[in-house]
Amino acid sequence: MQALRRAVVALIVAVGAMVVVRLRGTGGTPPRRGGWRQLDPDELAPTSGAGPTDG
Amino acid sequence: MTLRAAVVGLGAVGTRAARQLAAAGAAVTLVHPSAPRLAFVRHEVGAPTDAVVGGIDDLPDGLDVVVLCHPGDHRGAAERAVEREVAVVSVADDPAVVRRLLDVHDEAAARGVTVVVGAAMAPGLGCLLARWAADRLAAVTEVHVASVGTGGPACARRHHRALTEPALDHIDGAWVQRPGSSGRELVWFPEPLGGADCYRGGLADPLVLVPAFPGVRRVTARVAATRRDRLTSWLPMLRPPHPEGLVGGVRVEVRGFRPPARPGGPPVADAVVVGASAPPAIAAGAVAATAAIAAGSHRLPAGAAGLAVLADDPGPWLADLGRRGVPAWLFEGADARRLGT
Repeated sequence: MQALRRAVVALIVAVGAMVVVRLRGTGGTPPRRGGWRQLDPDELAPTSGAGPTDG
Repeated sequence: MTLRAAVVGLGAVGTRAARQLAAAGAAVTLVHPSAPRLAFVRHEVGAPTDAVVGGIDDLPDGLDVVVLCHPGDHRGAAERAVEREVAVVSVADDPAVVRRLLDVHDEAAARGVTVVVGAAMAPGLGCLLARWAADRLAAVTEVHVASVGTGGPACARRHHRALTEPALDHIDGAWVQRPGSSGRELVWFPEPLGGADCYRGGLADPLVLVPAFPGVRRVTARVAATRRDRLTSWLPMLRPPHPEGLVGGVRVEVRGFRPPARPGGPPVADAVVVGASAPPAIAAGAVAATAAIAAGSHRLPAGAAGLAVLADDPGPWLADLGRRGVPAWLFEGADARRLGT
């Protein structure tokens, strides 16, 4: 009975440790400079003939 | 001549693809096992369409292209279409399905038919962005893709499974398995998304990107997940997925070298970061429709491959997608060599 109780406690501690390890923190820091800008039509102009849906 | 297209599977992505094809003037046949769903989508598309209650075995004759948007395996459906010399566009993003579709290449090439593999958001839009970014560099050494968001319920279930499946990274010419849900990285997506923690998982992007960049050293893919996603990924989905996800996005970082600043000088290490944000079902439907028009009009090379291989001039593809509500973005103003890992 005591062994079973110890096993249950060990399991609970292991699961708790796993949850903490998996969920803590973040994956890095945001970029401090720069930003997104939409691509201009000039930058998307065809370089070799017609586009995919041109008639 | 009017393009004749069939859309098989009318979930969130199939409905959007059908609507985009009909708006482009294609003669669209909707194929789905449920008559009520067919009636609903015919009304949603808002243009005259034919409807077939059934599946891939019930396609009409005389098609130019079939768009596969149903859940599950697409290999059998693609093989039957190739036998009939009908071009195929698949939106599958399951690595096992994508690998099986790529195996159709020899048969498709022999018959002069195009099979577009992974024509969704990631892979799909991510492939076009990677090709565009790579064309800005003289040599490509690394491609890293990250995506966030899900389309319909089938896409949400795939996302749930992907976090428990091993990731396939391409490192120095070899495929390396990494544990799913590992490798946390904060990825900055175009607005309105901002930052999201992304993880490795069973994602198909490297399978379709590696053939497009011979000699590339590293190709990886990550997907955004919340803490709850990670904690519950090993369980069955605790509640049914939403009919459709909210805004999502894809970010592609291509690293390599620019030509030397002066003749005989060393090449300059650089990176190009591009992305897009849109509801994933809309983005996937737009990519599938554009790919269907190109493949059905015989503007793509024969064989089975992803869009990074098939679209040799990605600029007009991205411009077309921008007109369909999925604009492309470029990250600039920072030292791109210091972005991410």
